[in-house]
Amino acid sequence: MAGMGRQFLSGQAHDFLFINHALARTPRNVLFESLNASAPLETAPYPDHRLFAHAIRHFIHRLITALIVFIILCAPVHAVETLRVLAWPGYADGDLAKEFEKRHNVHVEVSIVGSDEALQRKIGANQGGDFDVFAVNTAELQHYIDDNLVVPLQLSNIPNTLNQLPRFRNLHGIPGITRQNKVFAIPYTYSEMGLIYDRKQFDAAPTSLAVMWDARYQGRVLAFDTSSHNFSIASLLLGGSPFHIDEKEFGKAVEKLIALRRNVLTFYTLPEESVELFREHSVAVLFANYGRQQFKQLRDAGADVGYVIPSEGALAWLDCWAVSRGAKNQRLAENWINYMLDTSVSRELTLRQGLSNTIEPDPLANNADKIIWLEPVEDSKRRTVLWSRIISGDLPEKLLLP
Amino acid sequence: MLLAVFGILASGLTGYYSYSSSRAMLLAAAERDLLTATRVLSRNMLVSLGAIGKDAKLLAVLPRTTKILMGPNSATAEDDTKVVATVFKAMLSTHPEYFQIRLISADMHGLELVRVDRDENVLTRVLAGDLQEKAHYPYVFESLRLKRGEIHLSKIAINHEVGAHSGLNKPTLRIASPVIADDGKPLGLIVINIDLDSLFALLKADLPAVYKLYLTNELGDFLIHPDPREAFGFERGRRTLVQDAFEPVSAVIEGKHETIVMNIDAARKQQNRLIAAFVRLPLGDTAAKRSVIIGLSQPLENIVLEATRLGRYILHVVLVFSGLALILAAMVSRAVTRPLNEMVKAIKNFSKEKVISKLPLGRNDEIGLLAHSFHDMQMEIMTHLSELKESRLILEHTAKHDPLTGLPNRTLFYDRLQQAIIQAKRDKTSLALMLIDLDEFKPINDTLGHHIGDLLLKEAANRMCDCVRESDTVARLGGDEFVVLLPLIDGQRDAMMVAEKIRLAIKQSFNIENQYLITSASIGIAVYPEHGCDETQLSVSADNAMYLAKRGGRNRVHLCQN
Repeated sequence: MAGMGRQFLSGQAHDFLFINHALARTPRNVLFESLNASAPLETAPYPDHRLFAHAIRHFIHRLITALIVFIILCAPVHAVETLRVLAWPGYADGDLAKEFEKRHNVHVEVSIVGSDEALQRKIGANQGGDFDVFAVNTAELQHYIDDNLVVPLQLSNIPNTLNQLPRFRNLHGIPGITRQNKVFAIPYTYSEMGLIYDRKQFDAAPTSLAVMWDARYQGRVLAFDTSSHNFSIASLLLGGSPFHIDEKEFGKAVEKLIALRRNVLTFYTLPEESVELFREHSVAVLFANYGRQQFKQLRDAGADVGYVIPSEGALAWLDCWAVSRGAKNQRLAENWINYMLDTSVSRELTLRQGLSNTIEPDPLANNADKIIWLEPVEDSKRRTVLWSRIISGDLPEKLLLP
Repeated sequence: MLLAVFGILASGLTGYYSYSSSRAMLLAAAERDLLTATRVLSRNMLVSLGAIGKDAKLLAVLPRTTKILMGPNSATAEDDTKVVATVFKAMLSTHPEYFQIRLISADMHGLELVRVDRDENVLTRVLAGDLQEKAHYPYVFESLRLKRGEIHLSKIAINHEVGAHSGLNKPTLRIASPVIADDGKPLGLIVINIDLDSLFALLKADLPAVYKLYLTNELGDFLIHPDPREAFGFERGRRTLVQDAFEPVSAVIEGKHETIVMNIDAARKQQNRLIAAFVRLPLGDTAAKRSVIIGLSQPLENIVLEATRLGRYILHVVLVFSGLALILAAMVSRAVTRPLNEMVKAIKNFSKEKVISKLPLGRNDEIGLLAHSFHDMQMEIMTHLSELKESRLILEHTAKHDPLTGLPNRTLFYDRLQQAIIQAKRDKTSLALMLIDLDEFKPINDTLGHHIGDLLLKEAANRMCDCVRESDTVARLGGDEFVVLLPLIDGQRDAMMVAEKIRLAIKQSFNIENQYLITSASIGIAVYPEHGCDETQLSVSADNAMYLAKRGGRNRVHLCQN
């Protein structure tokens, strides 16, 4: 979990909705993993002959044999297709990719990407020609659709989508995945941002995000230091759209966030930080930017905590598989997506990375829970600038000056 | 040669050993120095932080500070704030490493009541409308939990607080002290923002420029790094940890060690090899958990450079000593090998030619002793040899001469006779063989004794010798029988003349031990080639002639008649 929340504080223009999205995954220190099924080079054992010349002759003979064997073994591999996968750490582990190679008699080349920016660079580099299939979140996906870097998918080639949870089967219900009735991506994994509360301080679980503003818990609320999500929450509470705050509503959102600032203990950035603050300052409720992983972390630290999805809904990032415009064989790329949705493969993701999959229901989750998939916001730069002033403690009078 | 090899080997090994050991010593010394410097740096940092803490405490106990906090809206508040701001300014002006000093209220969401910022070179007092609420910052709520006189040291972080003037987006450490009312209620706090970079610039000023400074938090995140891009990685979403760059530091982070010094010689494949020392420095009196790790590094090249210089020097020494070893070997060979060679030559010379060559006798060492022994042996051998030669000569003489008269004996005579005949044959000359028998010798011998007889024979021999030429040979055949060889004679007359001379000489009386003795000689002569062509015929002829002389009445000469 050490890497959770990396890259968080970057108050840059790219403080997009998902800055932290990649980071909430347990990172595997795989930078580049090339899966090569070719046989290991057969090395001829050196024959023990008395005559040196004979030995040399024998050796050369063996070498040639080994070479021929090598070439024969390599030949079909080079002849077969190569599927170029670009994924986040833990999404396509070597053993899983090997299984796909076996099933489809292809060669899989997995490259690992660590940030949204890197993903944009790699896919954008050669008009998508360097990769066949890649993983991207719903908000980021919009850029790729806009730039015509992804192609619509043939759902009939991905029969496993039928096994997905209802929430993910309704692709039109997930903003950003479809455009003009064409499906551009298939959900693969997600994490929502609920509320974690101290069960000792609540008789009943809090139901609304408004609990963070509740004066009864003043100084015992932990919020997350982020511009986008905080504005989204404020807007939600104000009854507006989380991702599209009207010009005239901005002042109200700012006021709301100042009120939040005045009610919280502090704004955390790292999950470890939240655990420490929770323990030291008898925190009652915290905004779980890192979702269930963070909840688990707190529980493991001995806190008697509960986790709820607020009635207003929980913001959530959703990673999908998409096929690049430069894909050499779209069918093969779709086969890959289908394979990723195999119950066994998706289950591995949950087991290994602690992330929710789209096939098996999370025992803690409720189908009725309102999940708000993240979308690009109206003006992330504006939110960032305002947020940095809010958290710096500017007085409302100053902040709300036109 | 072997000696030279040993010499070079010894000096080479000594050189290598001293090079490697002094390199290790240099490294160890450099590591020690570095660790000491790091410790001193940590101590200085602690002292500096203590001094800053005192400043904060001092400001926190100013009566006017409390007064402002007690009644921020009172009539005198404006004046009091002005005074306190002046004090803040004074303090900021004497401490260039201070970014900002603030008085923050515990109420009003942590509103700043007095705040002076450094803005480039100007000290700016932030006025009412621009003051901010800070209650949600840990340095505020943590400080308010402290007792009077205690100090809070914040985490070191980039200051993102908008409006912080010079301090904005700079690595900052906040040192705070609470202002506590008499009833123990926290009223507010004093916060001093420290410019981490200039603080360390001050601390590092006395260190050699090659020393590079590192500072990390308790988790190992770099806060100061020689490469600024490596510092505050977590701010950019990419943690840069000291334990990744300097693996052994993880022991310090885990609390196993307080200090560590390392040599990143082999551990890292990077070309910039260095030695580094890290010291953990616990911060704050209360929150013992907070600590920083201070590190210094020094490129290994500098130290290795010294070692290399030393190595080069040692190499020179080794070369000089190798040269010396060569010279020594040459000298030893001159001193030992050459005299030995000379002696071998002398021995060969001696055994081959029996010549005594020069020996190194002038030396007092073993070689001299050997030479002396050899010389003595040579001398002894030479003595023995000459003795042997002498006795051989005597033997030889004895074998060919008559012991009594010293005349050649029969063997030698016949040898000469043969030679003379061969010579005469070749030169076609003549020679004569005379056989002489003393008459009436036996009675003398019998009556007067052998002694007298011997003396007579001797004297007779002398007289015969006097009668012949030097080239002639007189020999004794035994008893009273003598024989004379006269080579190169002109004719029988010559022989007759010599024979007559001898007969007359013998006829003279002999005075032997005062006795006068009378004897005579019967002489038979044979001449080559008339009376025989070889020694046997000649002998027979001479014998016959002598017989005839005897029969003729003795004391006469008879020439062989054919």
